[in-house]
Amino acid sequence: MAQANGYIVGIDTGGTFTDVVVMSPGGEVWTAKASTTPDEFSRGVMDALTEAARVLDVDRADLLKQAVLFKHGSTVATNALITRTGVKVGFITTRGFEDTTEIMRAIGRVDGLSEEEIRHATWVTKPEPLVPRERVLGVRERIDYRGEVVVPLSREDVMDAIRKLVDEEGCEAIAVSLLHAWANAKHEDDVRALAREADPSNKVFWSFGSELAQVAGEYARANTAIINSFLGPTVDRYLGGLQTKLEEGGLEGPFLIMQGNGGVAHRAHATPVSNLQSGPAGGAIASAYVAGLLGHPNVITADMGGTSFDVGLITEGYWRYAAEPIVERFRMLQPIIDIQSIGAGGGTIARVDGETGRLLVGPQSAGASPGPVCYDAGGEEVTVTDADLVLGIIDPDYFLGGRKSLNKEKAEKAVEEKIAKPLGLSTVEAAAGVYDIVNSKMSDLIRQQVVRTGHLPEEFVIYAFGGAGPVHSAGFSAELGINKIYIFPTSPVFSAFGVAAADVIHTRVMTCQYIFPAQPDGPNERLDTIENELNEIMTGEGFKADQVEFRRFFTMRYRRQTAGVEIPLPWDRMTDERLRELQEMFETKYEELYGVGAGYTKAGMEISAIRVDAVGLVTKPELKPQPVEKGDGSQAVKGKRNVYFTRPERGFIETPVYDNTLLKAGNEVAGPAVLELPFTTIPVPPGAKVTVDPYLNLVMEI
Amino acid sequence: MEPTAVDPIKYEMYFHRLWAIGEEGRMTLQRVTASPIVAQGGECMSSFYDTEGVMVLACSGHLRFAAATSQAIKNMIEYFKESPGFYDGDQFFFNDPYVAGSHTYDMMVIKPIFYEGELIAWTATSTHTADTGGVLRGGALEIFHEGICISGLKIVEKGEFREDVFRTLVGMCRDPQYVGLDMKAMIAGNNVCADRYLGLVEKFGPEFVEAAGRRMIEDSEGKARAKLRSLPDGTWVSREYVTTLDRKSRKAVAQQLYCTMTKKGDELEFDLEGTSPQTDTDHNSTFPSTAAHITLALTNALFWDVPWSDGKMKPVTLKIPEGTILNCTFPAACGAAPRVGNVLVSTICECVSKMLYAAGRVDDVNASTTGNLAYAGGPGYFYGGHTRDGIRVAQGLYDIHGAGMGSAPLRDGVNTGGHMNIPSAGISDIERIEMQYPFLYFTRGHNPDGSGFGQYRGGLGSYRIYWIYGSQDCSVDYKPYGGVAQGGYGLCGGYPTGKSVLRYMVDAGMELLDRVKLGEYPDGTGMRDGTWGRVVHPDGVPERVALPEGSLLIDYVAGGGGFGDPLERDPALVLRDFGRGWLTPKIGEEVYGVVLAQDGSSVDEAATQSLRERVRAERKQLGEPPSGKTSALDPAQAGEYESVLRFHASLEIARRNGQHAIRCVQCGHLYCGAEENYKNYALRRILDLNDYMEDALPSGEPYIGEYHEYSCPGCQVQLQVDLFCPPMGGDPILWDTRIDV
Repeated sequence: MAQANGYIVGIDTGGTFTDVVVMSPGGEVWTAKASTTPDEFSRGVMDALTEAARVLDVDRADLLKQAVLFKHGSTVATNALITRTGVKVGFITTRGFEDTTEIMRAIGRVDGLSEEEIRHATWVTKPEPLVPRERVLGVRERIDYRGEVVVPLSREDVMDAIRKLVDEEGCEAIAVSLLHAWANAKHEDDVRALAREADPSNKVFWSFGSELAQVAGEYARANTAIINSFLGPTVDRYLGGLQTKLEEGGLEGPFLIMQGNGGVAHRAHATPVSNLQSGPAGGAIASAYVAGLLGHPNVITADMGGTSFDVGLITEGYWRYAAEPIVERFRMLQPIIDIQSIGAGGGTIARVDGETGRLLVGPQSAGASPGPVCYDAGGEEVTVTDADLVLGIIDPDYFLGGRKSLNKEKAEKAVEEKIAKPLGLSTVEAAAGVYDIVNSKMSDLIRQQVVRTGHLPEEFVIYAFGGAGPVHSAGFSAELGINKIYIFPTSPVFSAFGVAAADVIHTRVMTCQYIFPAQPDGPNERLDTIENELNEIMTGEGFKADQVEFRRFFTMRYRRQTAGVEIPLPWDRMTDERLRELQEMFETKYEELYGVGAGYTKAGMEISAIRVDAVGLVTKPELKPQPVEKGDGSQAVKGKRNVYFTRPERGFIETPVYDNTLLKAGNEVAGPAVLELPFTTIPVPPGAKVTVDPYLNLVMEI
Repeated sequence: MEPTAVDPIKYEMYFHRLWAIGEEGRMTLQRVTASPIVAQGGECMSSFYDTEGVMVLACSGHLRFAAATSQAIKNMIEYFKESPGFYDGDQFFFNDPYVAGSHTYDMMVIKPIFYEGELIAWTATSTHTADTGGVLRGGALEIFHEGICISGLKIVEKGEFREDVFRTLVGMCRDPQYVGLDMKAMIAGNNVCADRYLGLVEKFGPEFVEAAGRRMIEDSEGKARAKLRSLPDGTWVSREYVTTLDRKSRKAVAQQLYCTMTKKGDELEFDLEGTSPQTDTDHNSTFPSTAAHITLALTNALFWDVPWSDGKMKPVTLKIPEGTILNCTFPAACGAAPRVGNVLVSTICECVSKMLYAAGRVDDVNASTTGNLAYAGGPGYFYGGHTRDGIRVAQGLYDIHGAGMGSAPLRDGVNTGGHMNIPSAGISDIERIEMQYPFLYFTRGHNPDGSGFGQYRGGLGSYRIYWIYGSQDCSVDYKPYGGVAQGGYGLCGGYPTGKSVLRYMVDAGMELLDRVKLGEYPDGTGMRDGTWGRVVHPDGVPERVALPEGSLLIDYVAGGGGFGDPLERDPALVLRDFGRGWLTPKIGEEVYGVVLAQDGSSVDEAATQSLRERVRAERKQLGEPPSGKTSALDPAQAGEYESVLRFHASLEIARRNGQHAIRCVQCGHLYCGAEENYKNYALRRILDLNDYMEDALPSGEPYIGEYHEYSCPGCQVQLQVDLFCPPMGGDPILWDTRIDV
């Protein structure tokens, strides 16, 4: 892999903007953006590059020519899944199990829904499957749970199925997922061979469950193959078209694709399904990168936007994967960075329940349209943003850097009528109540996420993102007992920055069963197989064997348990002694997670899954610290306004307002203060302070 | 009474925090458990109670547990307050279904929470654990046969884990590791809940927490009463059936569940008078189990938007006659109580759905999710024996959680939607099942013709064909074929259940694989007609049957009930279901009146229209009003009535000169006064199940019920399909809806 001199370009297509980050070997960083163009996403990408070239004061062709690594995260896959605009897919599975993706393990009725939605049991329905039942065909074959062939594959059934799906139904893509192919892929390999025979020109896009996940669980594996096929041609067309444009534009270096697992891969090695959730992945990488720079082993990333609050974790320097991530209501088997979400954002609605007088905040949202009352666009329901405005935290004339002006009077009237009066509170108390409640709910979600990992919130720092995250960060952090919050002026381009900083990562997860007392040979052979396969891929990515770092994990459990605990291995291979130590590590971790005495050695233990990440490290930017200049930041004060703080005491305080762009590294701003950034506002409570660190990040201590 | 005053903002923060803590406890439980039914099926619960044992809040999980645990705590306070007393750090194991829970398999661990030396609250976690020792499922005659039955035993004492108690309890079970892991899981869940609860007390102060708890109970009651006030007053009646083994005749015997629901103002009463006497099998429900199931039915159907505390049941009165299958007398066995409970939920929801329809709450109306003909008969799903690894087990296979959901007024029911009692229920992946159980599946699919027919059909249940593979010791519970639907209801002319759902077992043997390799494949028809071996119908209907390796089984799970007249169904949907293998052309014609083209690719529109006309004509010609006349009023005045309240897709109450009458919404046909049963004037046809069902019972016994189909004399739209079981007696013409006008 190229590690030479030249630019590293990271480009991220988001919902509204396409952001570019360009880094030079010397550690300089430039950013640029252009509007996202959903009708043809590649146009927005080229526009953003043109803009970046302008910022760098070079020709676009020169920029591309000198790009040693060109990394791209796009929303194309996620977008096609959300809008259900993939291609026509057929599905081939084991005969007798054609209804698997309709049955959805029954849990498909509630997968991806919130608790509130699930409780309305008579109303909840399943999503429409991506492949209608008419295009699901069964073939005779059967492999058992040990991977032994019980019934050989019927070649005739396969050829019939292909003919029906391709010739009669006109499918552009086919997904294949057979029972127990995780244990033995032979029959899927046979189908692949027959497919080449039947479709020599390779006009159909094929996906195989066993290639995408060697994990037991036919429902999620089938979904994975189907989604891969559903998105495949769309993603291929997009990336192919873009690559041509880039190469015609001068790009000679490798074109790498951002994946949901937090790594990049060459187009040839990046499956379409791995493109999903690459935007959030970019954010997580950036956070992990910054965490490394700042020496934070444990980080909570808290992103509060208009409608949702998304929480991710970095523990011991790494992000975490969800076991069976649910994307757009479909359960899958893919290493996707685990990010949990609740309906709590600036647009979240607050209202008083008619019967009980409870002040309910969320999960309903006013969205962007009509939006909060203060948008003056027809919204009549009080939202979190309206409360923030009433409290003086945000400035009606400098919301989103002044891009939107807000009607404060209208917000005050709505809070008074709809919340204050029914509860017998003052308007301001009512708004402060909304602020407190939403903060408390967010802290509950964070706590839930954290304790699940066996950690406590106190061991973490918070990185606050989104337009509303910094506005509320002091509130929810205090609830958690966390006293350090980081806010990054560069966070609007964090996803692109993460894409630029991403390493090449390929992940393999495999179901297995090694019962203790186990012999080291079994797991070692399995590791050999996985690593050989990964090495081959990494060679294709341009890495030499000694440039690839392997991270290995065993999932351990007591026998009979369904869930397991993932243990990072400190060794490359197992020995008898290490297996003994592994058992101890498991029981220690288990008690950390579930309490002392929760373990049950007598039940026996087993290794139930193996995961290996192959990481090819690429050149990272070395951010340059700025010279530190002591000072109280008073040069940045642009005015004063009355701001309501809920701690340490409740009440309005005349508070200086700082223009963040005028603060210098080393400045220390003491609360009460309000810092205004072009995309957000940070209220600093009395007694707290904000320090500008050498990288111009804002560190709030409360 | 004035509600308890609490700071509304702190209250809301407290409310969400308490719920989050309960969720954390439940997730801990699900991750630690050994039961797939808990981990993947969600049969568990974490919840909080005040010092008296009144439930303050339950998280999601199995609703039955939420409703049950209060009583366990109340009894423990009564029995054990003095001796052995409650101390900080204690945890009690509990599983006595005569006090709380449904059967001995409902296990709870209960923990008093102390703050500064004072007991301030209780927390409890519960799981459904399939092994309690005792006789294997199906064989119990008395509660004493159903394994350990503990009304409170300290498993943790002042923070010390009691190894002696633990070993004694798990030592009485077949599978001590499995039961032990579940007990440890519950203890872990309680530890999490109690720890975090104390954090809450630290933050808000004990006085606030106490007041907020009281307020939560009051709020639930307030919301429940407000909801009741928004519904019309009246009386609704439902009648559903179950079957079990009659030990003397060794044949199936039916029981009925009979429910009279009266709603007045903000009060709701359920009177179960008319329900059959208890049995000498385990097919009984204790009062606590019955109360828990009624609570969960209301939680789902009526009070879904009311916070889950005991307050919501305050406006509800229960009258459950003693000595019946819904209130059995000690020491009757009650292992099958959840099955009785499922039918009870259906019986309750039938009344509630009709009441909700009359209130115009269309989004909340649902036909049943239980109910299948003869679904109870044949081999069941409680396995015993040894696993392939030689572990002795008593286990349940919970594919039954893949039931079809009821249809709704504007859509079909959700196919294999789960289990209404457990909001987040799921079934396991077959690959995971085969790794644990000695089975090889040949099919898991949607059951053709398997749900209640209607304009909107019920959600399809699932069926599976599987083969005993790799075990020399496996047995399963066995029940006689019942011959009548096990609960279930349709609405507004839809049918309660579908057809062709008989569980079978065939001695296919190991040679089955050779045949499959050569191209044959087992299916339901082949299993019934002997293609795959002899149908095993064991002599004398034993409570359990051995499953030798090579046994082939077919097994069905309930589908939902239908909504509306099947003749009104969009023919395109009939065609679609046929194309997907979910409907046979025979049912398409007989029930839906839809004729498909010869090649099955399109609807024959002309033939369909004439067939539907013919069926309507038959209804008119062959149907007879039970009273001998089609109206008690002057039909000529129908047009002079003004609509007052629509209580049915096709029927409304209308008024003329202060007189209220029932009128057809479609054609205006006038039936009778609102204080009379319209069915007396509707066209009734009686359909004997023996003429209706496709397949005879494997036992050779007859079906024992009939469908009573009522249609409008004016436009022949089908109004109601009642299942009636003549041997059980009672008025065949059920007066199901009486709205107070």
